[in-house]
Amino acid sequence: MNASGKPMPRVERIDDYRWRVPRQGGMRTDGLIFADEELMRDLEGDQAVQQVANVAHLPGIVGPSIAMPDIHWGYGFPIGGVAAFDEEAGVVSPGGVGYDINCGVRLLATPLAIGDVRPRLRELVDTLFATIPSGVGARRSDLRLDPRELDRVLRDGARWAVAQGYGRDADLEAIEGGGALSGADPTCVSERAKQRGKDQLGTVGSGNHFVEVGYVAERFDEPAADRLGLTPGTVTVFIHSGSRGLGYQVCDDSLATMLAAADKYGIALPDRQLCCAPLSSPEGRRYWGAMNAAANYAFANRQLMAHHARRALARVFGEAGERAHLVYDVCHNIAKHETHTVAGASRRLCVHRKGATRAFPPGHPELAPRFRDLGQPVLIPGDMGRYSYVLLGTDGAFRETFGSSCHGAGRRLSRHSAKQLARPRNVPRELEARGILVRAATRATVDEEIPEAYKDVARVVDVVHGAGIGRKVAQIKPVGVIKG
Amino acid sequence: MSPYRFVPHTADIAVELVAPDEAGLRAAGIDALRELLVGTSAVRALEERPIEPQGLDPTERLVRFLAEALYLYDTERFVPARAGRAGVLGEPFDPARHAAAREVKGVTYHGVTVREGAAGLHATIVFDV
Repeated sequence: MNASGKPMPRVERIDDYRWRVPRQGGMRTDGLIFADEELMRDLEGDQAVQQVANVAHLPGIVGPSIAMPDIHWGYGFPIGGVAAFDEEAGVVSPGGVGYDINCGVRLLATPLAIGDVRPRLRELVDTLFATIPSGVGARRSDLRLDPRELDRVLRDGARWAVAQGYGRDADLEAIEGGGALSGADPTCVSERAKQRGKDQLGTVGSGNHFVEVGYVAERFDEPAADRLGLTPGTVTVFIHSGSRGLGYQVCDDSLATMLAAADKYGIALPDRQLCCAPLSSPEGRRYWGAMNAAANYAFANRQLMAHHARRALARVFGEAGERAHLVYDVCHNIAKHETHTVAGASRRLCVHRKGATRAFPPGHPELAPRFRDLGQPVLIPGDMGRYSYVLLGTDGAFRETFGSSCHGAGRRLSRHSAKQLARPRNVPRELEARGILVRAATRATVDEEIPEAYKDVARVVDVVHGAGIGRKVAQIKPVGVIKG
Repeated sequence: MSPYRFVPHTADIAVELVAPDEAGLRAAGIDALRELLVGTSAVRALEERPIEPQGLDPTERLVRFLAEALYLYDTERFVPARAGRAGVLGEPFDPARHAAAREVKGVTYHGVTVREGAAGLHATIVFDV
């Protein structure tokens, strides 16, 4: 039984890493969940498996409704959900992308040795906390965008940021889609959405978003790690954030339209949050223009934060800090038109990834030349107390998951349960005793994000690696965390 | 205080609302939203912001009402105190008196259906946080 009191859909084990949700009821296709036994047990009692089945009801779905090993209960799609739709007969669903459009993560690698950074870690973390606004209502005091400039952000994403001096041209090659998705149409973004996001560019936000200082602790593939600049014991910075209020409002605006569109086009919905429209419909095209514009805002947002992270590193460690290079930047919440091989035939599909990462293999033409022989870097942040991973995309992912992999550890405790667990403790002090400094706008955020609230990301990554939908390159351990 | 209670949800926050009618559900929803946004901070009902009723059925009307109140908070820092006859009553955010407890991204339609039960109307709303 799940939390709604309904029986869970039937699930069959395929092998050590794969579980099938056989087509049942109104499902148009099977569900396919990547997980080991323990990760599957974590899903008992919630609605994540039901959400995998729900996605399989949508028209035009191609292949199975897929869930990554960090799957957990979301809204509409499960978090960790991947689904591909035929460009002609398929749909686009804001519930398959989420409120935080192009929520994503980027990783900077520095030449600084952890041994040199530790003595000044507090200064670095405090400088980052002061330099990159975080928390509810955070604004940058040094940036004002008039409507025309905001439209440029929406059209050009990270390219706009680099052109303004926030970063380097080389950064753009290391961002999914070059940091600017081509389908963006700022005229499809409502004035309400622009109003909600206009002052938030360059800010982290709250919840599970963060800036994290770490170091390369272990390497599983030394040549690949060398190519990515992940030298043993050197310091890194992860940045996790998205399209802020602008993206949230794009999603919100689209839901009313898509509910009416689903009715208009006769699409039966197992959950209203899966409301959708045919890709080729006026409603679908309008959402597409707005979603891509919001995605570009998110790329610009992370680009600005990376720029300010470099300045913070330089303020504390001089020129070596400024030399931090961008390893990669990936989207977690997005829908994209891609070409995949299905039953031996090449097909154009719209791939929704919600809480999932693109993981293109070596040789894929969409990768920048410097990654072409390597495969796409895949960044998998864990919780703030343990470790994170860098992986590479594989042929296996391209064959089996429409070139997708997991995006993080995945929550296992509700925020309420996490806070109850943290209440009698002083979590920042506990983490400091383990060598991890935490700065946060509120205690509540830290308590909700305690390491125990998440699955062990090593387990999640081992499933990805074992199933062949990604391969491990390096492990990064945190030493400083900035939370909203 | 209107009846609402938070119920388990792994990634986001779910709240169960119970009220005799649609107006009561809106009132309960605003109380829950206020708690999410500013915790137990006292919020005065100093002014009313109109919210046009929108939506084809009680479920859509409830979600869109709460989404509009969230929009007012996110863009104008207008903190909701309680639902009014034609909108939401509240006051501007004051950092000296209000704790900015969390960011709420959206009011979702996931699993929401306003249905009749023994105690009146019921609905469970999932907030994306």
